[in-house]
Amino acid sequence: MTAVGRPLSVEGLSVAYGERRAVDRLSFAVGPGEIYGLLGSNGAGKSSTIKAVVGLVRPAGGRITVFGLDTATDPIRVKASTGYVPETSLLYEALTPREFLEFVASVRRLDPGTTTERVRAFASAFRLGGELDEPIVSLSNGTRQKVLLIAAFLHQPPLLVLDEPLNGLDPRSVRLVKEMLVRYVADGRRGVLFSTHTMEVAERLCHRVGILDRGVLRGEGTLEALRSRVAAGDATLEEIFLELTDEGDGVRAAVDSLEEP
Amino acid sequence: MGWREAARLSDLAFAELSLQAIYAFRQGNPVPPGPAHALAARARRRVLESKAIVSAVLAVLAGGAAFLVRAAPLASGVYGTPVRPGVFDTGVVTGLLSLDLAFLWWTGMQILPTFLASGVLPVLEPLPIDERTLRRTAALLYVRLFDLPALTVLVGTPLALGVALGPLVGLAVVPGALAAVAFALALSLLTGRFFVRRVQGSRGGGGRAIVRWAYLVLWLLPAFAVFAFVTAAPALFDLLALAGGDTGPLSAGRLLLVAFPVPLAVLPAIEATGPGGLGLGPAATVAVLGACAGYGGLAVGALAWVAGSVARVGHVPARATTAGPLANEPIRARRAAFAVLVKDLRIASRTPGYAFVILLPILDALAIGLYTYGSAPSPDEALGLALAAVATAALVATFFGPAFFAIEVFAYSYGRTLPVTDRSVLLGKVGLVVGMYLAAGGIVLGFTLARVFDPVLFAGFVLAELPAVVAAALFELGVLFWRARTKGLPITNLYSGAWAAAVVAVPGVVLAGLPLLAFRLLGAGHFSVGLEVMALVALAELAVVGPLALGRRER
Repeated sequence: MTAVGRPLSVEGLSVAYGERRAVDRLSFAVGPGEIYGLLGSNGAGKSSTIKAVVGLVRPAGGRITVFGLDTATDPIRVKASTGYVPETSLLYEALTPREFLEFVASVRRLDPGTTTERVRAFASAFRLGGELDEPIVSLSNGTRQKVLLIAAFLHQPPLLVLDEPLNGLDPRSVRLVKEMLVRYVADGRRGVLFSTHTMEVAERLCHRVGILDRGVLRGEGTLEALRSRVAAGDATLEEIFLELTDEGDGVRAAVDSLEEP
Repeated sequence: MGWREAARLSDLAFAELSLQAIYAFRQGNPVPPGPAHALAARARRRVLESKAIVSAVLAVLAGGAAFLVRAAPLASGVYGTPVRPGVFDTGVVTGLLSLDLAFLWWTGMQILPTFLASGVLPVLEPLPIDERTLRRTAALLYVRLFDLPALTVLVGTPLALGVALGPLVGLAVVPGALAAVAFALALSLLTGRFFVRRVQGSRGGGGRAIVRWAYLVLWLLPAFAVFAFVTAAPALFDLLALAGGDTGPLSAGRLLLVAFPVPLAVLPAIEATGPGGLGLGPAATVAVLGACAGYGGLAVGALAWVAGSVARVGHVPARATTAGPLANEPIRARRAAFAVLVKDLRIASRTPGYAFVILLPILDALAIGLYTYGSAPSPDEALGLALAAVATAALVATFFGPAFFAIEVFAYSYGRTLPVTDRSVLLGKVGLVVGMYLAAGGIVLGFTLARVFDPVLFAGFVLAELPAVVAAALFELGVLFWRARTKGLPITNLYSGAWAAAVVAVPGVVLAGLPLLAFRLLGAGHFSVGLEVMALVALAELAVVGPLALGRRER
């Protein structure tokens, strides 16, 4: 499909699990050529937001569009233009990575020749060899994560949605993925939504970040914009995060409470 | 920490196992809305319901055996030549114990993958629990997978035969029932370990797929115990009648007399009819008693092995990966529906429960086809057998069709993020059901045509039924997809949703059966008219069900 417009727009998104509201009227957007980082503590609503974007969770309210296509009314075309890496490496464990990638390529209607070349190139980049023909159930977490990354990049989607994509990867692969993402958006049309707990990664990689706390967006913008918001010119993203989520004092108090009397 | 602590831990682990079996969180299924305690309670209830279904089947088998031995004089006449009561009782109890063993083993093969995938034992390992308690916890947890069905065998079988032939006969069945349960537990674990190492952990590639399917065929043989017993019953009675005499120690009769579970079945027969009832000579009596003692020892050994091995099996990684060079093979992209079908076949080749579903109608057709060919029937008999076999293939394929929905539970979350439509998934799975039906029909007709060459007639019957098979599969899978979208409940195996699968399978089988019924009613004297009506009914069903199942909104 031709990617026109904003890669991702989330307007007033709410996600609820029974009585519990995990995301509350959240709005943000990922612009063309942008890596947008979604930051938050455990349970802040990052994964719920991402699951709503990729169609795993039905929103309780709000609207999500991908290049102008509404995820509620046009889910198949949205999924066709999205690549997704889930938070946990949940794959078809009884398949080998090669069989899994064949399935993904088939439902994405990819050309076999091009796909074969891409898989070969990605496998080489991630230093995967015989593992491609081992059952997924027997692979390490890091190797599974590499397989998921290959599946997400395979159709070169205009929007990548990555939930903690660096989990379990070795340092070389982490560096590789970061470089890949930077080059991926360099054409100025594609977008990446990226969730992470690692502030250093977000600080170096993301053009803008959104800080989620208990389902609500506490702050959003470039690092410079967030620094000016907390009135600290040299603050790290971690300090900004703790300030905006009112958790700085909580951390100190928690550490104090762990001290032996 | 002792057995009490192990029981407490196994209770916690079983609650987790039930949750995993029903909701498949580890396969990525999202948590359904509702309070956690209600979800846990529902999971336990559903597991209990499924165990109750398995137990009910075992109870029916015990009741059937009791009825047979009670009505021995009537039943023995069915086989043409009179059978002595002692021989008849031994044969029936042999059949019952074999079926108990086969059914429990089959149940074990169904649930072992879930048990291993749930990861409940690895979670316990890092906790400060001593190794002995951990082993006991694992053993108790494993036994709990079988508790109600095993209890049905241990109590129900002696009770049923005791009511039919007297309390002492019931008591005499207890050693056989105990041995059947012990062997079933051990065989389930043994095949489970084998499955983890050699099937689930098998690399990709066409040659290895053939080997995996061959292994899985072997695993399915217990499921043919009923068929084998019914088919072989007359021969069994004949052999048993001869076995009591003092023939050579390696004669077929003597070997049968010491083969499991015959000697354990001889005990209640002796109690019911006296030593003379079976005509056992002194040497045969010694052989039977020796074999009983041997099987008793083996059963104790099997239970001890199970108790010591469950914890190990629960931690075994599928296979240590060996990194090598990248194979120079292309990535084959297919049409979406066909890709779903291929994916399901590949998953089934490493998952016994699904392999069973695919192979059962095919092996059933193979058995009937071989019987038809081997028994050299008259043209009319061959026709009757072939049509019955095709009808069976249609009914079996549609009855087990809902199981293919359960494959979607694997990587459920990830699969839903791919741009594949419900229609493609549905068509892929219906294609699998139709493939099973055509393969089974083709096999049985191939054998029959070698005896009675009338390809137009046979092909006409297979093709007339085909739309009904498609309609039944579309109905069953369509309802399950709708249910999953609205209620989010996946079906993973025999123990986690047997009720839901049965609820849709029964109307599905009715859909597949209606054209067969129409043929039965109209085709007796007018074959071609019966065939035409059958085809019309089948097409009408497809015309109604097809648009309903395929015309729904895309997800």
